[in-house]
Amino acid sequence: MKAMAHKEQIKFFFVIPGILWVLIFTIFPLLYSLRLSFFQARLGQDQTFIGMGNFQGAFSDYRFWNSLSITVFFVVVSVSLTVLLGLGLALLFNRPRRGLRFFRSSFVLPIFTAPIALGYLGLTIFHEDVGAVNVALRMLGVVNPPGWFHQVWAARLAITLVDVWQWTSFCFLVLLAGLQNLPEELYEAAQLDTSSGWGIFRHITLPLLAPVLFTVTILRLVETLKVLDIPFSMTSGGPGAATQTYSFYVYLVGLRNFNAGYASALAYILLLIMLFISSFFFNRLRAIYD
Amino acid sequence: MDKRVVTLVGLIALLSTMWFGGAAPTHQAGPVRATAAPTILGFPAATELEAKTAQAAFNAADKGKPDPAWKGKKFTIAVYSAGQRGAISGPLYFWRNKFTELTGATYDIVEIPFAELREKIYSDFTTSAYKYDVIINCSNWYGDAIANDWIQPIDKYFNEPRMPKWDRASIAPAVANLMKWGEHWYGTNNDHDAQVLYYRRDILSDPKWQAQFKQEMGRDMPVAMDTWEDVLEIAKFFNRKDWNGDGKPDNGISLHLKVGGQGFFHFMALSAPYVVTPYLGQPPTKVTKYHNVYWFDPETMEPLINSPGHVRALETLIALSKAGSPAMWGWSLGEAWADFLSGKSVLVFSWGDVGSLAEDPTQSKIAGKLGARGIPGTKQPYDLEKKQFLNLSKPNMVGNQVGCSWHPVLSKFAKNPDLAYYFMAWQATPPINHWNVYMGWTGVDPGTTYDWFPPAGKATIDEYVAGGYKADDAKSFIGAFTDNFYRYPIFQNYIRIPGTPEMMEVWDVHLSEAVTGQVSPKEALDRTYQDWQKIIDNIGRAKLLKLYQQSIGYTK
Repeated sequence: MKAMAHKEQIKFFFVIPGILWVLIFTIFPLLYSLRLSFFQARLGQDQTFIGMGNFQGAFSDYRFWNSLSITVFFVVVSVSLTVLLGLGLALLFNRPRRGLRFFRSSFVLPIFTAPIALGYLGLTIFHEDVGAVNVALRMLGVVNPPGWFHQVWAARLAITLVDVWQWTSFCFLVLLAGLQNLPEELYEAAQLDTSSGWGIFRHITLPLLAPVLFTVTILRLVETLKVLDIPFSMTSGGPGAATQTYSFYVYLVGLRNFNAGYASALAYILLLIMLFISSFFFNRLRAIYD
Repeated sequence: MDKRVVTLVGLIALLSTMWFGGAAPTHQAGPVRATAAPTILGFPAATELEAKTAQAAFNAADKGKPDPAWKGKKFTIAVYSAGQRGAISGPLYFWRNKFTELTGATYDIVEIPFAELREKIYSDFTTSAYKYDVIINCSNWYGDAIANDWIQPIDKYFNEPRMPKWDRASIAPAVANLMKWGEHWYGTNNDHDAQVLYYRRDILSDPKWQAQFKQEMGRDMPVAMDTWEDVLEIAKFFNRKDWNGDGKPDNGISLHLKVGGQGFFHFMALSAPYVVTPYLGQPPTKVTKYHNVYWFDPETMEPLINSPGHVRALETLIALSKAGSPAMWGWSLGEAWADFLSGKSVLVFSWGDVGSLAEDPTQSKIAGKLGARGIPGTKQPYDLEKKQFLNLSKPNMVGNQVGCSWHPVLSKFAKNPDLAYYFMAWQATPPINHWNVYMGWTGVDPGTTYDWFPPAGKATIDEYVAGGYKADDAKSFIGAFTDNFYRYPIFQNYIRIPGTPEMMEVWDVHLSEAVTGQVSPKEALDRTYQDWQKIIDNIGRAKLLKLYQQSIGYTK
């Protein structure tokens, strides 16, 4: 009996490192940054409690609004394109083909590329003089191809396209797995009633795939809301602050300018936005399941 | 779907993945240790001549009396990432074997990408990691380093018999001041940054182009380029003409205007003569509320950055940016230099690196064709006191020390401070520092009397020719730097108070907004003004005002 009790207790001992890890590296920074967000805390200065001052300051900071609007553009375009292209590719490859495994593996490779490396590659591909994109456009007869790094919307599009290139394959992979789990019998039955591929897709595939689509979309949303690496390495946030995304701005405030209090407040605002979006999507997901 | 289409899509995906995945940048994340690269006379030299001249410099340099206790010890140097033959980091690799030969000790070099350099170093100190014993410092970081007590004065070593002697009096005063804070020295001599105007001597002196200019513009080409207005006219004239004979239209000027591409340094150098005016009594360099000031009102700390003089200068920069490749709004430093060095633009204004890179046959097509002069002035500077533009008969000329003037400073937490200082002093000795200057690839720019030609200094053309220069290029290049540091009547103040990097960051963004047409020049500088006011209030106006007054030598 005593040995049993000892055995029961020892399992807690083995859990302690994990608990400590979470406490030190997750909970403590989270609470500490929450505390910092109520302080004026700059490198080399004493910390001063300012209540909601940092949060109020954010709402009157034009760079906050600028970075937020850029991030919204990035999220909407990138998430829409990656999910739609991923779905299209998944539908295309959701049938027996020769070399299917090879193509599937090939499509997935971009996920494993570091975004910062992708940004530097984007720099060479979209280079205005010698980049592959403008060279191709000139060959096609475009006299004045876009100035990818000095025109506001071209720069925003360029960083978005690089992100789309990387993450389409992730959407493809997850959606393909979802498609392959749909029951064959339903399709066989549907084909007896209609020959319309669109009808089958609209009334069978899409509703059945909706939970997977929601999951992919929420994962992409969270990922794109945090985007930093690609604009950092590709455009440095320019021209002006035209590609300075929200996380980029938080990084500049916190790690370049060492204004830890304000950066913490900005980070918490992003956290709240993410929580709001996630809970909205999970509520929708629950409704679908129900 | 057609099988061929599927195959094609797959192949494109595969190839692009390989292409993207295989081209990750090669940033150095950790210390770079000595490699077994082939050496000549113990140097990782590219040529025998390079090794021989370096050996001569090594022999001539004062070596002090290295402490035998240093044998087997090691320290760490942080420097911006440019590689083993790159600017500023390159000499650290080049001289390492000789340092070991002298002391029996060695050092690790930690290369950090420029964009992350400051934050990595600041984080190292704020987190008490203290990984770096010596930091190759940008001069505008001093305010933060001193305010936070991160670096230590080095005066105590000057009379130490163990330490090599270096010649502090030989450094151009404007740059020497950047190595000091108050009464104390913190940095040792290395690099001397200033921007000068480079041009194609062969093109501007060509009678054919001069005649065509006269025909088109109705006046002689202003080849002396004493004012920015002359520069603009010449840039516009040559832009889109095939003046290099390759059958394609070429550029008038090249600039680096991308955010994070150090474009604000361009504006700093260009705008100084529009804003900084001499004191009308004696000496003309005296700093008053209205004279010899550029950054802030020295009585209130109110930014001057949106003064009408600054706005006009920004209008000039924007006009210049239209006299070159449209792509240069997205260029960083290297691309702007490459455009000039590859013979595609007539003008560029930048640091001394261009002067030395122009002589490097692997990077330049313009060796033997280089001209240089100090930064031009303007005949219409803005008078801050009268609040109006002046009309001068002679241009207002203002020298600059724009840039970082990268030099080593000693961490207060260095594990082997004596050994680390020995290295700093040894690198600052005249023979080694001068060798670094005349070997262009090192990125070390000229700024001491032993870099100048007589009568200002004691360098010889032969030394530069031995370093690979064409004699006329060297005369012009070194002459432009000598003019800037010694012959210009007044100087632009250098800003290095706490918060400087943050101010530069927002300035850079707003300048980019203006040159890419997102906002007007006035609006961009008004935004900068507002952001700077916020930063000043945040850090503490009274504290900054006192430091600013000290740093520019202002007294009521």
